[in-house]
Amino acid sequence: MGRVYVTGMGVVSSLGFGREAYWGALVEGRSGITEVTLFDTSNLPRNLGGEVKGFVATDFMSEQEARRMGRASAFSVAAARMAAEDARLAPKDLAGERTAVIVGTTMGEANVLGELQQAWIHEGARAVRSASLPRYGSTLLPIHVARAFGASGMVQTLPAACAAGNYAIGFAADQIRAGRCDVAITGAVEIIEKLEYQGFVRLGAMSPDLCQPFDANRKGLILGEGSTMLILESEERVVRRGATPLAEVGGYGLACDAHHITRPHPEGEGSITAMRLALESSRIGPDEVDHINAHGTGTSANDSVEAAVIHEIFGERALPVTSIKSMIGHCMGASSAMEAVACVMSIATGIIPPTIHYETPDPECPVHVVANTKRTGVRCDVVLNNALAFGGYDAVVCFARPGRLPDGAGEVQA
Amino acid sequence: MRLAITGVGVVSPVGCGVDALRAAFDDPSAAAVRAFTGEPTVLGREKFPEAHAAEVWGFDPNDALGDKGHRNLDRLTKYLIVAGKGALADAGIKEDGKFISVLQPDDIGVCSSTAYGSLDSITELNLVAELEDPRYINPARFPNTVINAAAGYVSIWEDLRAPNATIVDGNCGAIDAVLSCETHLAHRRAQAFLVGGGDVVTEPLYLAFRRLGAIAGGEAKWAPGARDSKGLHLGEGAAYLMVERVEGAAARGARVRAHLRGYGTAFDPPRETSRGLHASSAAVARALRGALADASLVASDVDVVCSSLGGLPPFDAAELAGIAEALGDVAVAAPKAMWGESFAGAGALGMAAAVLWIEGAPPGPLVRGAVAEKVEHAVVVASGYYGNVSAVVIGR
Repeated sequence: MGRVYVTGMGVVSSLGFGREAYWGALVEGRSGITEVTLFDTSNLPRNLGGEVKGFVATDFMSEQEARRMGRASAFSVAAARMAAEDARLAPKDLAGERTAVIVGTTMGEANVLGELQQAWIHEGARAVRSASLPRYGSTLLPIHVARAFGASGMVQTLPAACAAGNYAIGFAADQIRAGRCDVAITGAVEIIEKLEYQGFVRLGAMSPDLCQPFDANRKGLILGEGSTMLILESEERVVRRGATPLAEVGGYGLACDAHHITRPHPEGEGSITAMRLALESSRIGPDEVDHINAHGTGTSANDSVEAAVIHEIFGERALPVTSIKSMIGHCMGASSAMEAVACVMSIATGIIPPTIHYETPDPECPVHVVANTKRTGVRCDVVLNNALAFGGYDAVVCFARPGRLPDGAGEVQA
Repeated sequence: MRLAITGVGVVSPVGCGVDALRAAFDDPSAAAVRAFTGEPTVLGREKFPEAHAAEVWGFDPNDALGDKGHRNLDRLTKYLIVAGKGALADAGIKEDGKFISVLQPDDIGVCSSTAYGSLDSITELNLVAELEDPRYINPARFPNTVINAAAGYVSIWEDLRAPNATIVDGNCGAIDAVLSCETHLAHRRAQAFLVGGGDVVTEPLYLAFRRLGAIAGGEAKWAPGARDSKGLHLGEGAAYLMVERVEGAAARGARVRAHLRGYGTAFDPPRETSRGLHASSAAVARALRGALADASLVASDVDVVCSSLGGLPPFDAAELAGIAEALGDVAVAAPKAMWGESFAGAGALGMAAAVLWIEGAPPGPLVRGAVAEKVEHAVVVASGYYGNVSAVVIGR
């Protein structure tokens, strides 16, 4: 009874709220990239982002709750409440000590800090609103989610940059298998924040128009934002309550390039290790993988290295690879959690969402991109969710059709 | 849980290195005076005449890192790298930059914590963007604004290629890094981990805590654990433990300084929806009981608690009540009275302290009870500001 299942998912995205709206837009190949309105970009050479528009916190929580949290926490709580509803769980079902909340992020409540610092820098310390101070801190992300349900077990924030979603989901599954909790609310969140946006512009990493993962003419990434929360439950709990799992969380692999703070290892050493470990811990071979939801940022360095890694592990197989960042942008810490929803839905529906704006194949990226239109009717029993990140972090999570993986997948191996 | 601690690395206001930390416990009062006496580099006397902060005095990164390659690293990153270097050397894994044991780069990872790690760098770049122009943001320093970058640099500097994980749980982060380490070791994702973390004194952090009325400034009484303490004093520092599976440490003939024996954590959400900050004795007691259960120990097995008492009366009172509820009349030390409130850094320094107590250093400064001559088991507890608490048992 060591299996861990995904039983519900909630999404706040630039493509809509809730997994159905999000998934519907992804398979249509709709773009969520628009002009950024969160702050003034007139002094920058870039102005596009996968901004979440039309989000009203009080649609998902009380005025009082909304007042005590920033945009990132509000996204998280909204996504968590949608996930619970999707899993047909009432708040009381997630209350208590056996529920863990584990959330990934890169910058957390960066906008709260940004607003505080703008007041301080331009008007002095007395202009800082003391009521806003306790809203800052990445620690608060799982705290707010846990409070929303009365969950009183483990609360952890795992900032693993652009691999944070995979870190959180994998670690949450570990904790369920280790018996430290029965159910976990896990996922990740990121918001587009002014300094972060400015910094990526200065890094020269941002595309001026399109995000074109794996395309020969790709010009860089486009920042996005959003949150995805998953409900993970132990097999025993799923059976006990008669829930229908959407997918199984298999094993996962982690490694560190120890090479460069922003650039991936040129031969993808850490990424190869992480992918191999994900397969080994899931007790499957490369031939059993049906699809990879790639990190696919649209930057020159990432996509060529990632393609080389996939080629190294899977050889010449026509393994379908897609990057939904072409539609929602790079949601940083949230990205691999946003992509986890796509992995699970591909398993549930047999549909792979497209990589839009894919026009010119790049010989440096020898992967089989699902180009521009969804692929249907394919077997999607085992899917890998790949992520690379600042700090040299590499993380790969395996999702599978319930019961598809061998016994012991994801468990501690002797 | 039973994991071997084979090395300790420390960067603290009472000194850098294990020997300096041990010496501080010989005379905690003198160490505390030293920790808060120096010419401040962050909270300058002219601008903040009322401030008391324990900086890592005289820290020169060139001593440990050489004079090249660290110009664009922030202070926390340098502290973490030096602490990591110290722990690797202490564990007999690296010497003069070379791996000297059977453990190689792919075998070693990092589980590191910080509460406000990037705040220094975010502030620096926000000042540039707001007062000058975003086009002047230094792209080489931008990665420092990402909170896991500091731990990432530890792996890069020390060539550690097993998983690198950052944990941000406020005051509890370093203790929660133990769970991360245990989990990844159990899954054979590495053979050994640097476990700990750090935080640094920054101007915005000080201003925020002062604005919240949480700083004991000027002549105001600062006394961790006392009911009439008027607030906390900020501090900074970093520490790592080198942690391995017991059998792995034995196989390579490593000296085992102490063992990690149990971990517990709890969250007690406040009932009033308007409240954010929450001191919870119930969470303290539950985290402690969880750690003891994980270690298969009972309350009477604990010789001393390394508390997180920092001088904020509601939180200190809740922690003392929770300790009493779970462990009874046990001796309680408050080392933050020596090095101030350094959040994740304090938790990491607390774990390093507990290792030294088990090796014979006198626990302190004590705020309650007396300690047996020989410490067999110490519990390190960290109370967060939101009703979250974590604890770890360290044993001989």
